[in-house]
Amino acid sequence: MISVRDISKVFNAGRPNEFTALRRLSLDVQMHETTILKGPSGSGKTTLLGLMGCMARPSTGRISLNNREITSLPERFLTEIRRSTFGFIFQQFNLIKGISALENVMFPAYPTGEKFSTLHKRALATLEMFNLDKRADAKIEWLSGGEAQRVAIARALINNPMVIIADEPTAHLDTKLSQEFMDIMRDLKARGTTIILASHDPIVYDSDLADRVVEMRDGQVVHGGTGP
Amino acid sequence: MILDPSILALLVSSVLISLMTLYACGYGVQILRRWDIASGSELQLALERRTYLISTIVSYFLAFQLVSLFLLIQTVDSICHLFVGAMCAVGTLTVNSFGYPTLLLKVATFILAGLWLILNYADNKGYDYPLIRAKYLLLLIMAPFIVAETVVQWIYFLGLRPDIITSCCGSLFSQGSRGIASEILAAPSVPMEITFYACMLITVAAGTRLFLRGKGGYLFAGMSGISFAVSIVSIISFISLYFYEMPSHHCPFCILQKEYGYVGYPLYGLMFLGAVTGLGVATLQPFVKKESLEKIIPAMQRKLATVSVFSFLTFTAIVTWQILFSSFKLEGY
Amino acid sequence: MVIERHLHILDFTLSSLLRRKGKNGALLLVYTLIVFILASVLFFTHALKREAALVLKDAPEIVVQHTLTGRYQPIPVAWGDRIGKINGVISVRPRLWGYHYDTLLMANYTLMVPAENPPGPGSIDLGSGISRTHGANSGDMIAFAGHDGVPRMFTIRKILDSESQLLTSDLILLSEKDYRDFSGIAADQATDLTLRVRNPREYATIAEKITRMYPDTRPIMRSEILRTYDAVFGWRSGLMIVILSAAALAFIIFAWDKATGLSAEERKEIGILKAIGWETSDILMMKFWEGTAISLTAFLLGVILAHVHVFSTSSALFAPVLKGWSTLYPSFRLTPFIDFGQVATLFFLTVVPYTITTIVPSWRAATIEPDAVMR
Ligand SMILES: Nc1ncnc2c1ncn2[C@@H]1O[C@H](COP(=O)(O)OP(=O)(O)O)[C@@H](O)[C@H]1O
Ligand SMILES: [Mg+2]
Repeated sequence: MISVRDISKVFNAGRPNEFTALRRLSLDVQMHETTILKGPSGSGKTTLLGLMGCMARPSTGRISLNNREITSLPERFLTEIRRSTFGFIFQQFNLIKGISALENVMFPAYPTGEKFSTLHKRALATLEMFNLDKRADAKIEWLSGGEAQRVAIARALINNPMVIIADEPTAHLDTKLSQEFMDIMRDLKARGTTIILASHDPIVYDSDLADRVVEMRDGQVVHGGTGP
Repeated sequence: MILDPSILALLVSSVLISLMTLYACGYGVQILRRWDIASGSELQLALERRTYLISTIVSYFLAFQLVSLFLLIQTVDSICHLFVGAMCAVGTLTVNSFGYPTLLLKVATFILAGLWLILNYADNKGYDYPLIRAKYLLLLIMAPFIVAETVVQWIYFLGLRPDIITSCCGSLFSQGSRGIASEILAAPSVPMEITFYACMLITVAAGTRLFLRGKGGYLFAGMSGISFAVSIVSIISFISLYFYEMPSHHCPFCILQKEYGYVGYPLYGLMFLGAVTGLGVATLQPFVKKESLEKIIPAMQRKLATVSVFSFLTFTAIVTWQILFSSFKLEGY
Repeated sequence: MVIERHLHILDFTLSSLLRRKGKNGALLLVYTLIVFILASVLFFTHALKREAALVLKDAPEIVVQHTLTGRYQPIPVAWGDRIGKINGVISVRPRLWGYHYDTLLMANYTLMVPAENPPGPGSIDLGSGISRTHGANSGDMIAFAGHDGVPRMFTIRKILDSESQLLTSDLILLSEKDYRDFSGIAADQATDLTLRVRNPREYATIAEKITRMYPDTRPIMRSEILRTYDAVFGWRSGLMIVILSAAALAFIIFAWDKATGLSAEERKEIGILKAIGWETSDILMMKFWEGTAISLTAFLLGVILAHVHVFSTSSALFAPVLKGWSTLYPSFRLTPFIDFGQVATLFFLTVVPYTITTIVPSWRAATIEPDAVMR
């Protein structure tokens, strides 16, 4: 369980452009469930995903992951947890250009020092899951939108994460690709992966995938927070 | 002053390094004063990011300092003929009273930087920055030495004037230079040889005990420090003789030259490695009880002790090899 | 584990460097050029110093010249007997040597009667430079005009090929009889006297005794010559280095600019890497490898090119500037060398400033916040 207690995130504290993106927010995310954060742009969804995914630390409040307090951990520990626990899918695909699809999938595992041959094998297998094994050596800029999206998902899965975090995954996709994305998420969910999605796209938050929809506004949860 | 490219290189780089150190110290002070691990404030996050910068600077410093130490010796050796009476580095270093202090400060800052990086390594393993204060206090202790080295080195090189009459290893390190019987020379050598081997033996024993039982950290570290010093004295007293195969050449620097197969580099390299890793054990010792390092420090100490013992053993092996197979025999001198 | 991590990161670094050929190529070019110029200056002056030291290694400790109103004069050989009796002097030897100007080739040669193994009367040993310019080889006959303008024929016994070409390039060795005939020096006179002295500390006293004995002589000590040579060469290269430092400074600014001016694309890449699980120290490691790859390539290339330049092309690019010698001087080859001091000096003049310049920018790049890519 990821439990978020009373967290606030203040940007540019003490300066004239001080901005409170999250205020005293509490939330529990159950494992093996799919949680969807919904809310207008600027409501703090991305900021919250970043905090839960160990990308940043809250200004106040505490976050614990499976009962381990992670708020005050140094960056190198947070990164380790992030690497082994979370897989990220971003609004833009955020793949590195000029490099093959296969290598892009392998990048998240580089700092673990895994042996090249086993890593290579794993990455190929992951690409195969998405019917991309033939495109493994293709450079990113040669891929179609649908292929790039699937490479991005494959990259999120390379370290066998417990939790998949996706921020506005369908924002740049047409309806067909958005449906395809949701199908892949459904597969993952069926295999027991925890999924956290942030979106203001009805295809996402109205889908049958959601175990819970959390509605946010102005950095606070207005609906569907703690408790069942 | 002598306008030699190597001297310029040493001076310029030491100024750059000192400036970097002072820059790092500025943030070190801020870290000591404002550090608050519990806070998620932007200041704290910025300070945590700074720690990466500082450890990068110290790492580069360590590497550069090692090269600069040998370059200093090489340089003063190569310009020795400018000074009447100087025949190698020793002569040039004694031209004025700032030569040896420069060398000593280089050695000291190198060792301190090594210890700092050992602390840093341990600190990075703890989830709550357990050694942050110790680390930055050590940085602040180190900084004056680094700056002093730069200053003293400047004074030393500025004060180098050709035609200064100096004395060299021939007269400096030999008791028999005035033709007094050679037995005087032999007298301090044999006890020194015994001391050297005894030192190495105790160090290895203490290291083994630390490795097996996890006990005697300070004893081992102290011994490795003593071994370092004894090794230097031994090089002057008797080791050099076997390499030069001459009864009165006691120079600690000439073994770095090509004529002797650059054997000085591995010898000094091993000594430094042994000393830094050995002393590192003591640097970590006060923090064994820190909760977040309970498991980490003993494991690190074992590794450090292993490296240290290995270095001193290899050093001793090379020396012993030379003593046994050199055509030079100390008896009779 | 640790090694694999390094290898992965190194692998990524190298492929990134190759992806940005334009930017890194320019940096590499300027960097290599700086190393090349500095290394050429260092190698060249150091080689000259070594040549000079070689000349003087076998040179006598003290040379005594005879002067007349401050001008050089041949010295009576008999004076050597009295000087030889001074305490501390091991031996005294008269020397015969001088210069010969070749009007045809407009070059200056050094004539000398060697102490050991002199050629027999009528034959000479020739320096490689003269042999080259005259197209003469051992066994050939060669003629030189003596002091009276009358040419004399010599058989070439051998071509000199010694460790230091600078020294022997313009040298002609001949017998004492031929030399006296060629130069017209009287039989009881010599060019100068050379002394061997047991203890370096006695040089000054012995020199003083000689001038008291023969006030119109001038004793010259070897150490003085060596020191003068060295000071001149060292000073010249030092000066060159100071001037070149301006160039180096420009390079540093260039490097700083390259390092700080991370392109938007590079920032984005680092952001992505951090977001997907790379840590600040992984990026720092990457930057370290990047710097190492660039520095190592530029350093090796620059040093090798400079080595070729100085030792194979006789410093074609700037020998006239540095040597300040007559262009009549026959071309010569410096003895190749490479030593730790030179390489370390170059390292401290190029790699260290470059690295220090890039520390802060690299760190800035490495501490890009991982959630930046989500915004
Ligand atoms: N690094 C930052 N500095 C300043 N303001 C920020 C920063 N990141 C986010 N914000 C602000 O916080 C608010 C919430 O942003 P975000 O979490 O991206 O919302 P959402 O994802 O719901 O659109 C926005 O108004 C945004 O401008
Ligand atoms: Mg958003």
